Amino acid sequence: MTQGWLGMTKTTLKLNLGPQHPSTHGVLRLILELEGEKILSCEPDIGYLHRGMEKMAEKLSYIQYLPVVDRIDYLAGCFYSELFCRTIENALNIELSERDKNIRVLLLELNRISSHLLWIGAFLMDLGAVSPFFYSMREREMVLRFFEKLTGQRMMYNYFVFGGVRNDIGYIDDIKEIIKILPNKIKDYERIITDNPIFLARTKNKGILEKSVAANYSITGVNLRASGISYDLRQNDYLYKGYEFNPVVLQGKDAWARYKARILELKESLNLIRQALDKISKTKTQAKTFISPLGIKLPEGEYYNEIEAPRGLASIYIKSLGDNVPYRLKWRTGSYYSVNLLKKLLLGEFLNDAIAIAGSLDIILPEVDK
Amino acid sequence: MRALLIGLLTVFKHLFMRPVTLEYPEKKRELSPAFRGKLYTSGCIGCGICKKVCPSGAIQYNKDSDNKVTSYTFDLKKCIFCGNCMYYCPKGAIKMEPEYELGSDNISDLKLSYKGGNND
Repeated sequence: MTQGWLGMTKTTLKLNLGPQHPSTHGVLRLILELEGEKILSCEPDIGYLHRGMEKMAEKLSYIQYLPVVDRIDYLAGCFYSELFCRTIENALNIELSERDKNIRVLLLELNRISSHLLWIGAFLMDLGAVSPFFYSMREREMVLRFFEKLTGQRMMYNYFVFGGVRNDIGYIDDIKEIIKILPNKIKDYERIITDNPIFLARTKNKGILEKSVAANYSITGVNLRASGISYDLRQNDYLYKGYEFNPVVLQGKDAWARYKARILELKESLNLIRQALDKISKTKTQAKTFISPLGIKLPEGEYYNEIEAPRGLASIYIKSLGDNVPYRLKWRTGSYYSVNLLKKLLLGEFLNDAIAIAGSLDIILPEVDK
Repeated sequence: MRALLIGLLTVFKHLFMRPVTLEYPEKKRELSPAFRGKLYTSGCIGCGICKKVCPSGAIQYNKDSDNKVTSYTFDLKKCIFCGNCMYYCPKGAIKMEPEYELGSDNISDLKLSYKGGNND
């Protein structure tokens, strides 16, 4: 409480943003301290969606845990599946066939597209624009229907297995249609959103993320690349070997740059899908020899792997004592660090910008709480 | 101002497009045959692999003194529809049908019980 104008007392207001606020994309609770509309401090409160993913791993065998990892990030399940499978494959020296590698790239990039499309819709919805949400959901539906045909589910795929993929790729025509239609739709989004004066006023120079801050807060993924640091794991990933790929790097640092970077990433993903389709068409279906699901045991030791997920670097750490369950399993997810960044990024901003800034970081709460 | 107009025109264009949504309870979308929904079993030999690969403990069975499965249950309340049991069943005895409306007034509808190991 401080002395204000004409002897009136000036107090700060504590405001709970969430956990049921629709703009917090799940159950994020931000405890904001406000002076007028200005944010003096922000304390993110997480854990409302905690499911004990890491502890669960200590009870379930590797094959039982495989469908569970899809649920860490429900918008990009493939990435965590791939990460988990990759770690087991590396530990047991299982070699993937060329065709399976390319199928995995194809599915990962399609999954990235569906994730980014939902983000575009939800972000614009946060800012008060309703139409783009319906358009992006419509395009996302095409991708989800392809996933439904191929894997049997729209979001929890359980498609990658140790040593390959469950069944061979099919429905190539569906993918070709997505590649054909989506570029025009992205142009439509850009026409509606990119130069819209209201959108520009809400996002330009808002939530500026300096390079040093991004590095100190361990920010990765699109948020980092929109701040001008070129760091994309896909450049060195063994799956993406032989793919032509340019990481999207922008110098804008603000919420608008993060939006633009995701739009450009969509195009880059489409480009990768085209290459993957081309590579898949050159290989033939092979008879699959899967390792027996029961009795997978990792040799004693520690295992680490990482991948470029839509929300930043995702990594896994497994410590095994040679049993059929891990002794300890740890996930690193991109959103967790983005939530932590809000403490810094929201300081001195106005309350109505808080939603725009938090939205621009693409936070997914199941990934944060695990 | 120009950007705003271009945006509005693009939105306006959608007025003349066909609707993409369905009025759900009345109209239903045809699901892919591969869709993983409600479980059905037939031809079980009682090997027990499904129970070992199930992540949520939805499958339970009883065995007699000869180690033969006498009855088994699938608890759809616990099932997460991951399909592990279907993928690893050596006899292809478990099928998942594209049925997703599992709500029921009777809780026992969500528990699929089968008697005997060699038949359904």
